[in-house]
Amino acid sequence: MTPLDTALLVLLAPLASAAVITLLLARRGSAASALSVLAAAIVAAGSLSLAFGGGRFSGSVEWLRFGNFAISLGFRYDDLAALMLAIVAVVGLCVHVFSLGYMHDEPAKARYFGGLSIFMFSMIGIVLADNLFMMFIFWELVGFSSYFLINHWRERKSASDASKKAFIVNRVGDFGFLLGIILCYWANGTVGLGELGAAHAAGTLAYSRLIPLLLFCGAVGKSAQLPLQVWLPDAMEGPTPVSALIHAATMVAAGIYMLCRISVLMVPQALLVIAWVGTLTALYAALCAVTQRDIKKVLAYSTLSQLGYMVAAFGLGSAGAAMFHLTTHAFFKALLFLGSGSVILGCHHEQDIFRMGGLRTRMPLTFWTFTVAVAAIVGLPGLAGFFSKDAILALAYDNNPAVFALLALTAILTAFYMLRLWKIVFLGNPRSEAAGHAREAGISVTAPLVLLAVLSAIGGYRGAYPRGFEGILSQVPEAGGATHAVVLGASLFVLAAGAAAALAFYATDGTDALETRLPGVFGFLSSLRTSFDTAYDAYVSKVQQRGALILNFIDVVGLAGVVVRGVGGAAEVVSSGLRALHTGRLGNYVYWFLFGVAVLWAYAAGIL
Amino acid sequence: MKPTLDAFVLLSGALFAVGFLGVLVRRNTLVIFMCLELMLVAATLALVAFSRFNGTGDGDVFVFFILTVAAAEVAVGLAIIVALFRTRQTIQVDRLNSLRR
Repeated sequence: MTPLDTALLVLLAPLASAAVITLLLARRGSAASALSVLAAAIVAAGSLSLAFGGGRFSGSVEWLRFGNFAISLGFRYDDLAALMLAIVAVVGLCVHVFSLGYMHDEPAKARYFGGLSIFMFSMIGIVLADNLFMMFIFWELVGFSSYFLINHWRERKSASDASKKAFIVNRVGDFGFLLGIILCYWANGTVGLGELGAAHAAGTLAYSRLIPLLLFCGAVGKSAQLPLQVWLPDAMEGPTPVSALIHAATMVAAGIYMLCRISVLMVPQALLVIAWVGTLTALYAALCAVTQRDIKKVLAYSTLSQLGYMVAAFGLGSAGAAMFHLTTHAFFKALLFLGSGSVILGCHHEQDIFRMGGLRTRMPLTFWTFTVAVAAIVGLPGLAGFFSKDAILALAYDNNPAVFALLALTAILTAFYMLRLWKIVFLGNPRSEAAGHAREAGISVTAPLVLLAVLSAIGGYRGAYPRGFEGILSQVPEAGGATHAVVLGASLFVLAAGAAAALAFYATDGTDALETRLPGVFGFLSSLRTSFDTAYDAYVSKVQQRGALILNFIDVVGLAGVVVRGVGGAAEVVSSGLRALHTGRLGNYVYWFLFGVAVLWAYAAGIL
Repeated sequence: MKPTLDAFVLLSGALFAVGFLGVLVRRNTLVIFMCLELMLVAATLALVAFSRFNGTGDGDVFVFFILTVAAAEVAVGLAIIVALFRTRQTIQVDRLNSLRR
């Protein structure tokens, strides 16, 4: 098989799986899950063989043509795409296998696995797309599959609300994205990534501040940056493996990936905005994470915060650092989510961390893999997160001291809330009956944990990756000399400070120490968390709702009343008159005929 | 005494009026049909008279056409009336008003 065939297979296998599941296996859960896992395995095998094979290619076919405007579909498989595809495939396979155990007793298993397959198809489409229109199509498909999977337990109102929220908030960002694509086409005459890169190299690319910022809107929506971050915590209503795959490791990272794909369009002013949006998101989300009681919500805010790091890294000018952190984050965050899924499964769907505790001895494998992931995210030296986060901190130190200070503060908070979570969930004594009876689940749950733990441990070493990714990983900035010492010292300090504070501050007695001892701070952080939702609610109910009422009035009175009823009423009046003429007696018709002849004669004679 | 054009036109008008009145007041489809034929004949008579008094053959040509068409029309019309009677057992126009209901 040529690399192109393999790429086609990787793209279409999940689509075929989704189609077969939807059309034929809708009532046969186990067959559907087997098929979906098989598709994920094909994707993993195909994308790894592509990455190791080292072949890089691009090509496209014309799909639609309107006059001299054409939309093409094509692949652009470079080092960036190879890395992203490998992440999506590996994490995807882990999540598929994990779902076999996690969703074992689920009645709507076929729907769930069909959703996973359609998500894999859409995500791979984004990764391979060679132009922005094609990327936008798959971008929307990803949005749909995210909506579909958040809404999996659709009998729960909270789940259906969350899915609608995710979909609508993403639409807001996508609107900007679409405008950006159109503007890019207008300015450059093409939206092909290859053509844009060539124009950049030749110096003929039309730069503007507006295009990258509009395209960034798409990333703001999909990667849940301020101010569109509100959907991601709510999206935790979906099944936990979905949160791991879509709302932590891959889909939300698609925004970062898209930015890296269009990095040639960037101008310094736009990058500055992007860097600040990322930094503020990182800090805001870390503050919110501190007060959460739900294990998945802590991880959701942590995801937001780490995505903020990646966006900030991109904004500081290093796509390499952003992609490196994206890679390591995908491994350890997927591991954290799958670990939390294992905990939730063990505790019979208890998600409140203050009703857990003591799981260290009851779920040892989960505990140790989770510990690796926590160590990786807080940046313990030697693990994946340490390298990627230090690369970003070094970049910030060299370029923007204010961003560096805020990111370092975020790192303290990261260590603080992750250790809080870790201590409260796993240490101490069980604080509920469910936690007391917690058991490790079967091999399909634990095997992905172990695989991801290995990846989280070694993911920071350049040598662990196939040579094909060098194109990206060689762009990761290396801190040298004084910067290196300062950043290393700072990151060790923030790690120690945050971790020690959390371990000392929180007790394993089932109460939130922050709530009882510092209620003012707790209240402030809680209100910070709800502030955006409150503001959007106020906007929608006060401004948008009023506007909608006015439009509704115009519709009811103007359109439905005057136009529709008016036309109908006039027709009715005329028709009731005409109906009276229709007597059914031939003689009457002849009189009318006579009348008509008389009128005609009068007209011809010039009387009328 | 030679007949004048006025006499022909008067006769034609009278025939037409008789036919028209018949169509108006009679209820039997067959009679109405015959009255229609009467109106046709009135028109034919007028054409012949005008043709004759103008000294051209134009009107006569029309008459041949009208006669041909009228023959075909009579065949079709009578067939319709027969078919109507078979299905409805009546040819009284005041009872053939099912479209109104």
